Amino acid sequence: MSVSVLSRQNILDRIRAATRCVSKDPQQLPDSYAALRRDYTRHGSLSSTACIELMVERLRDYDAEVIESTKELLPAAITFQLTASGISTLATPSHLPHSWLAEGFDWIIDRGLTIQQTEAVQGVVTAAVCGVADSGTIVLHHSLTEGRRALTLLPDWHLCILHTSQVVETFPEYFDRYHQPPSLATWISGPSATADIEMTRIKGVHGPRFLHVILVDDHGPEKT
Amino acid sequence: MIYSATSRPVLDPRFAPPFPQAALPVLRNPQLRKNVAHATDVIQDKSGRLIQEKSDWQQLRSAGSAIRAHALENLGEYLEEFEARCTASGGTVHWATDAAEARQIILGLLRQEDASEVIKIETMTSAEIQLNTFLESAGVSVFETDLAEVILQLGEEEPSHIVVPALHINRGQVREIFARRMELSDLSDNHHALTAAARHCLRQKFLSIPTAISGENFLIAETGGVAVIESEGNGRMCLTLPRTLITIAGIEKVLPRFRDLEVMLQVLARSATGERMNPYTSVWTGVTPGDGPERFHVVLLDNGRSSILAKPTERQPLKCIRCAACINTCPVYRQTGGHAYGSVYPGPIGAIFTPQLMQMQHGQSLPYASTLCGASYEVCPVKINIPEVLLELRSQVVDQERGDPGRLFDPMYLGLLIANLLFTKAWLFHAGQRLGRIGARLFTRKDGWIHSLPGIGAKWTQTRELRGLSNQTFHEWWAARAKESK
Amino acid sequence: MVQCVRASLFITCYNDLLFPETGQAVVGLLGRLGVELAFNSKQTCYGQMRANTGFRREAFSQAKRFVRLYGDAETVVIPSSSCVAMIRDQYPGLFEEFGNEILRREFAALLPRIYELSELLIDKLGIEDVGAYFPHRVTFQASCHGLRSLHLGDRPYRLLAKVRGLEHSPLSNADRSCGFGGTFSVKNAEVSSAMLSVKLQDVTATGAEYCTAHDNSCLMHLRGAMHRQYAGMKTIHMAQILACTKTSPTGAFL
Repeated sequence: MSVSVLSRQNILDRIRAATRCVSKDPQQLPDSYAALRRDYTRHGSLSSTACIELMVERLRDYDAEVIESTKELLPAAITFQLTASGISTLATPSHLPHSWLAEGFDWIIDRGLTIQQTEAVQGVVTAAVCGVADSGTIVLHHSLTEGRRALTLLPDWHLCILHTSQVVETFPEYFDRYHQPPSLATWISGPSATADIEMTRIKGVHGPRFLHVILVDDHGPEKT
Repeated sequence: MIYSATSRPVLDPRFAPPFPQAALPVLRNPQLRKNVAHATDVIQDKSGRLIQEKSDWQQLRSAGSAIRAHALENLGEYLEEFEARCTASGGTVHWATDAAEARQIILGLLRQEDASEVIKIETMTSAEIQLNTFLESAGVSVFETDLAEVILQLGEEEPSHIVVPALHINRGQVREIFARRMELSDLSDNHHALTAAARHCLRQKFLSIPTAISGENFLIAETGGVAVIESEGNGRMCLTLPRTLITIAGIEKVLPRFRDLEVMLQVLARSATGERMNPYTSVWTGVTPGDGPERFHVVLLDNGRSSILAKPTERQPLKCIRCAACINTCPVYRQTGGHAYGSVYPGPIGAIFTPQLMQMQHGQSLPYASTLCGASYEVCPVKINIPEVLLELRSQVVDQERGDPGRLFDPMYLGLLIANLLFTKAWLFHAGQRLGRIGARLFTRKDGWIHSLPGIGAKWTQTRELRGLSNQTFHEWWAARAKESK
Repeated sequence: MVQCVRASLFITCYNDLLFPETGQAVVGLLGRLGVELAFNSKQTCYGQMRANTGFRREAFSQAKRFVRLYGDAETVVIPSSSCVAMIRDQYPGLFEEFGNEILRREFAALLPRIYELSELLIDKLGIEDVGAYFPHRVTFQASCHGLRSLHLGDRPYRLLAKVRGLEHSPLSNADRSCGFGGTFSVKNAEVSSAMLSVKLQDVTATGAEYCTAHDNSCLMHLRGAMHRQYAGMKTIHMAQILACTKTSPTGAFL
């Protein structure tokens, strides 16, 4: 028996001995977990409009550039963002909607880009799975429209397309929406930053220094 | 055995001087005290404002406390669940009883990879087991990638804070370190230039070194997933680009379910850095073909945690989510900084965690490094009752001392024992007071004040005076008054 | 005057010896308010110093004695927030660990009848204006135990606001520990002094003549440094301010 297997047994034995008086019978564990009190705010109280306004405000708080658009105007909005930022070479996830690949730019579709190839592009355009207004957070589950993790990490410029129907107000609402936990997730709340030197916040250490968001109005979020 | 490849000081409770002694050089360092005060003021100010806007803050704290307590009470089940899920997703889980075993497991994995270099994300747990110096002495170059850790590594310094480890170093000092070690003699000391220097210096390492070591913020039992919460992006680099990722995790860092992050993320960012949410949180589960490392190992570390778990009150530090709110608010830490605690865990959390990790054999001065003001408990997002644990640990230290024949030579110990005897009976108490009054007169000057006392009293009078005792205690005044009125 | 309340004064060991004038002020103040005050001369200490230093068994013996002495008291008033905090926070644990069922019941019955002075005035007697006169500039240091254990909140400020002639000068960082911490002030004397020097900067910056608090322990620490440094300020317990009236400016009472 390997050392690690023996250690495993020893550690678990010690844990069991330590928690003998309080640990639940494994059958009862789900019930005792479900009984934990959660009196914090689960659901937001803002109207749809106010929720979107909050999302925009919080994104801008983090120095992300946000513009609002419609489905029809989205390709033009993408073109505008790329041109204004001087970006011409872009990586994209493999299944980004074709209509988003505006003309006049060099789109490199990720069908297995190497690290060096990803490093060489100027920017990346992706979808997202969710936005959380309370904290201005964009959530990626790294699906085929959001791309592998390296894709939104190495390029210095990231344009994220988020639809208003994807926006929730509170963090618990995001977790309510996704009962099936993702195996990969990245929560992005602004570009990378550090305050390690004299507590002065500096944007852009590693990861994209420039985060742009186009918020597409598709008549969401749904609010009761 | 301490592995020390360089002359860099080691934060090791087995060898660190007692807190009162360790604090002395810091107290005489105005620059460091100013740096610490400034940094903690900034975080507290930001944090306070954001907590104020959260109307359900207290409910979040309660839930956070309940979730962490529940996880600890059922730790065995949740660790096994985590192991099964992580393994099913392509990860490999290792168990390490102590620091030495963890180091050997990690070195063994690096040897399997033929790795002579690793990139690393800051992790308290790796500092706890002194991993870096061990790997360096085994011929593996370790490159820290958090800006603060880069500063510390290049400056051959030790961390003094959990979240902002280089908080005690100011901009000019960082500039000097970078200019010297990165050979950038023209480097300016503005924040942007310094950050850009670090970014440039690390970029090639991220892109080329195929092995990374990380810590984690949470292990998720339900999915076998691991969460890392960060600001700079170096974490995402280390978690995503290398071929092999080794994550070291204390066994206590388990959350039962993925959704428990809804509480932890909200409280951690606000408490740690004064943000509604930190820039990047990454969650990954085992190995995902085509996205990220091909090989993923988790090393679960006990190193004394299972012993701490056995005691209901004293186990509270295991709830810690490493936000450092207690450190930021502590008025003792504000004056001493982190190094005085002689451990990688400074401040109030260090005072209750370190001695217990050492099975109360070292760090016994740490539970006394507190005025019990309660500020730490007030800010802890998972409601660790730090004063309560401090008192329990003090009681354990005293119980140890009871068995020590030399204890009667300790004036504090002796004084407290005598006091206890005097307090058992009113007449003894009053007699003691009368004796005290006579004794005090020997030291009372013409101005009616005691300016200097011998022995342990000198500790008071070195910076403070004591008003001389009045001729009548309160109870004597009361008795005289009662007599007069008859 | 209030409907007759009977209270027993627990002066605390250190006030008895070091600050008898605080006890005298409590007597004068409560007498003026019509409280029938008793004093059990058998009292000694309630065990804080021992409990806080880790001598739990010894602290319990004091706790037991305290409960036995005051079991019959209608109300117990203590002019020390740290003492009341210790009784509320630590006695339950001590009785749980070392006591028996009878003692635990006795303590549980006594606990709600124990008041810190400002709690007695505001919560029990319903008074904020005690008829005090103290024509000085005063700043208030919120003792940690009063703040975080007893949650005294704005009680001290409400009492000070009603003192005629008193000008209140707010203290910056009032909720930050002064560095006393009982035996901490000796075991970690240098750190304690560093914390004290920072606190003293805030206190003297108020321009007040007096610094007051609910605890003579904090005040002793502050005053000791003020005197050493010729700081031009004094400390005074809240009870002594409240005891002063126009006709009795130093709180004299016989």
